[in-house]
Amino acid sequence: MQLPEAQVAVLKTADADTDRPITELAEEADLKVETATGAALALAEEGLLSVTEREEATTTLTEEGREYVEQGLPELRLYEAALEAGADDEPVSLGQLLGEAGLDGPAVDIALANFARKGYGTVDSGEVSATADADPDADDERRALDALDAGETVEDTELLDQLESRGLIERQESTTRLVSVSDDGVTALMEGVEVAETVGQVSPELITSGEWRDVEFAEYNVEAEAEEPAHGREHILRQTANRVKDVLVGMGFKEMDGPHVDAQFWINDCLFMPQDHPARTHWDQFDLESPEEIQDLPDELVERVRSAHLEGVGEDSEGYHSPWEESVARSLDLRGHTTSLSMRHLSGFAKGDLEPPERYFSVEKVYRNDTLDPTHLLEFFQIEGWVLAEDLSARDLMGTFTEFYEQFGITDLDFKPHYNPYTEPSFELFGTHPETGEIVEVGNSGIFRAEVLEPLGVEADVMAWGLSLERLLMLMYGFEDIRDVHGTLCDLELLRDVEVVY
Amino acid sequence: MPVVDVDPDELRQLVGTDKDDDELREDLFALGLEFEGWTDEDEFQLEFAPDRLDRLSVEGIARSLRYQYGTDRGVYVPNTNDPEWTIEVDGPPAERPYVTGAVVRGLEFDEESLESLIQIQEKLHATMGRQRAKGAIGVHDLVALKGAAGTGGEKTIRYTSMDPDEERFVPLESEEGMTPREVTDSHHMGSQYADLVDGFEEYPAIYDDIGLFSFPPVINGRRTEVTEDSRDLLIEMTGTDQWTVDHMCNIVCYALSARGGTVERVTVEYTDDTPGEYAGRSLDRPDFSVKTKTVAHDRIESIVGVEFDSGTVLDCLERAGLDGTVDDDEEVTYEVEIPPYRVDVLHPLDVIDDIGRAYGFNDLEPRYPDVSTVGGRHERSRLEDAARDTLVGLGFEDLLNFHMISTEENFDRLGIEPGSDVLGGGQPVTIREPYSEAYEILRTWALPSLLLVLENNTHREYPQHLSEIGLAAELDDSENTGVAERRTVAAVLADTEASYEDARGRLQALAKAFDADLATPPTEHPTFIPGRTAEVVLDGESVGVIGEIHPKVLVEHDLELPVAAFEFRLDALE
Repeated sequence: MQLPEAQVAVLKTADADTDRPITELAEEADLKVETATGAALALAEEGLLSVTEREEATTTLTEEGREYVEQGLPELRLYEAALEAGADDEPVSLGQLLGEAGLDGPAVDIALANFARKGYGTVDSGEVSATADADPDADDERRALDALDAGETVEDTELLDQLESRGLIERQESTTRLVSVSDDGVTALMEGVEVAETVGQVSPELITSGEWRDVEFAEYNVEAEAEEPAHGREHILRQTANRVKDVLVGMGFKEMDGPHVDAQFWINDCLFMPQDHPARTHWDQFDLESPEEIQDLPDELVERVRSAHLEGVGEDSEGYHSPWEESVARSLDLRGHTTSLSMRHLSGFAKGDLEPPERYFSVEKVYRNDTLDPTHLLEFFQIEGWVLAEDLSARDLMGTFTEFYEQFGITDLDFKPHYNPYTEPSFELFGTHPETGEIVEVGNSGIFRAEVLEPLGVEADVMAWGLSLERLLMLMYGFEDIRDVHGTLCDLELLRDVEVVY
Repeated sequence: MPVVDVDPDELRQLVGTDKDDDELREDLFALGLEFEGWTDEDEFQLEFAPDRLDRLSVEGIARSLRYQYGTDRGVYVPNTNDPEWTIEVDGPPAERPYVTGAVVRGLEFDEESLESLIQIQEKLHATMGRQRAKGAIGVHDLVALKGAAGTGGEKTIRYTSMDPDEERFVPLESEEGMTPREVTDSHHMGSQYADLVDGFEEYPAIYDDIGLFSFPPVINGRRTEVTEDSRDLLIEMTGTDQWTVDHMCNIVCYALSARGGTVERVTVEYTDDTPGEYAGRSLDRPDFSVKTKTVAHDRIESIVGVEFDSGTVLDCLERAGLDGTVDDDEEVTYEVEIPPYRVDVLHPLDVIDDIGRAYGFNDLEPRYPDVSTVGGRHERSRLEDAARDTLVGLGFEDLLNFHMISTEENFDRLGIEPGSDVLGGGQPVTIREPYSEAYEILRTWALPSLLLVLENNTHREYPQHLSEIGLAAELDDSENTGVAERRTVAAVLADTEASYEDARGRLQALAKAFDADLATPPTEHPTFIPGRTAEVVLDGESVGVIGEIHPKVLVEHDLELPVAAFEFRLDALE
């Protein structure tokens, strides 16, 4: 039979006839007590050892108890001093006796309390009288302390209680396991018991050779923390972007793509933003020094857009009282919103003419000449989406956006009428934050104006909305400074430790 | 967005209400005027979207509240008296040919109402007036004006041109006479608007019988300054567009009328040879005529998403300060009257928005449109994601950096030059007025961004294996925009034992995942160590570079350990 090393040692050390404590076996076999105990229990499980338990009370002296073994109990020292001073004849003053007995501090009270209790004498008005025939050598407490100090046992429980109440001893209950070799164990020993190997790392060879059948696997500390491997992960903002994309694709939206550098025509003019609109100045958008102008714009569309700006569309429309120059429309900017992509798609320029119904979205970068601070970046991701269909109403817009925001836990959407040059009606969207319960602005939306759609050749209605992805991330995951996350000032530790988004 | 300061007591008085501050704030929010805070003088600071420019003053806001409360209904047009004064337009600068005006009599000013008059001018300048370039307002004490400056006889003032160095007058906030050029050069208010007449051969000027009293759009003369004692005012507005100055004038006149003033029209006479569209014409201003829009009942229902009866529509119109009459031929339409202070109604849709607001958009029941479409991701974004996932699987931390960068970082600190024939060496897209030097071009490659992240994170645990898939751009005449925009795949391995082989191994695994044949023939690139640099050739096309970063670049970025890197075009994995 093969057994682990410790079990072999315990089995060989144990006796078939006598119950022996495991501690004794451990010492003899040179094993740790825990190891020997584990081995003995395992052997008992196999039926090779029989184990019995014995409850034992152990008594040990406290520090105070040990002190009295050496120096004598205070009451006895007082009695001896009293006899010396002849207090068995005449009362002697306590002060004198204490000095002679060398008692002071708490020992004085202890001496006085026990002196009378044990019948060594009386104390009255500071005068001590001693009993003449008391026998300090026969003092039970003294003898018990001496016996315990010598490692003997004391059976008198009342006496032990007394000593414990004086704080001179401590008593503990303990269980001692006693083992002896069973009949099966004897048989096994007679047939021969060998030490089996224990294994740390499991090796391919161990598995293929079949050796694993005869080995014991060393136990690991399975609760300890381990070293974490360096690992990659997707950027938190990408995770959020992909979450948004999943939601939108699920709602039937197709993704748009298009240029970051684009003509103001696509960025602003198609959106019916007058050319002298304050937001079109360099304060809001990044105008390019090089290159300066787009090479080709669709001529007919340019003409229709110009006419919408100057004269409006249809009979009852008047356009803006602002100048409109094609050179301005041709000049190149970094796009300030991804609505330029919507214009390229709705005009048919990106993917050919669209037939309603259609839904499109993008989650792409836009550039704004804003002031950098914890919540504003010069580049951020804009979530943009629109629906092209016949007869869309404000209610359809509200239904669509309620559905979208609920996917992110933002509920109780409020639609505050608002103004955009390119939509009418327009709504700012407010919602209730899932964690804080605050009312927060979550986007801007509306139904595209006729002055936007007619030049593009769109005859159905289009409703659209936009918000910043960073804002959604900050709302949902509580970031306070977006610069820690997005851009070259990012903190790798934060990106490594942040909780994943799903 | 514009902000307007409003004294709540004044507002209560003009509206005729005793609502408390909180109730007022709530009602204002419903109008789209958001309370931003208190001014030092205990006034509301209200922010609003810049469509309703008639709400740029307490008088206009009070009018809107009266409609909201139902105190007023329908279109209101104040009575005007026949003109006594004429503005003769005789040869103003061609850059600023248009003028309009009005007289308002019988006003009683106190400190607050005078401040309100100043505020409405400032706010109109900042919005419709496009910082005074498109339209500028001048308000004068009529008592200080003497007519008969023109040829037309009595009570005429003249809008014309002047020599910047010859004329002299005493401008506002000045003790002495100055020439117009001295005003634009050195007057503390005048110099702020110097650029508006920059390049003008002659400056705009308005004269009365006594002489020059206004230098639009820069500054008024001191002689006609309006004070609390002023009773009758002359308003003039000059600009580059007649419609714009006329409507700015309407808004100011409505505000003064609400203060108890009586509006008196003026005659604007353009002489035959004056520049602009109105030569030889005579205009009666302010023009308080009501314009109309025809709005289809069906369209109202389809936009708001609710079925209406005509009575409800008419009620909503009146509560919005408009008036309507029903025309029910085949298709029910409304002839809607729009008062002259409304500058935001360009199309029937704008009237529908007013109806929706009066009806209460927020009370509508949302509905999910019963329209089915098929969703899907763009191919480029799917490719980007697949490559990103593969890199993450190879142990890279995915990053997201800015596309704008400094020239120094993109080129100099990596040892390359624009216009050189190496990866990253393209000519960059440059921004005309960058936010700062750190954001003056679009990056031509992504490796500089990753090195910046390494530089900013030297206190963080290594290894730092970083990757980014993002935009890089360079000038390219063959593109319509003149810019080649492409997605680039960049990766750096920063750890004490990083080597070429580590980078090659990962690139190899990435190429294999996309079934692309990888070859890495030796090459030279100033960012990398010679002899440890190779071209990235995928399926026979050279698309990038791989190697160990040169110690001079590492030291430049305060890095004290080796970095191996690669970068190539994402479309090579297609």
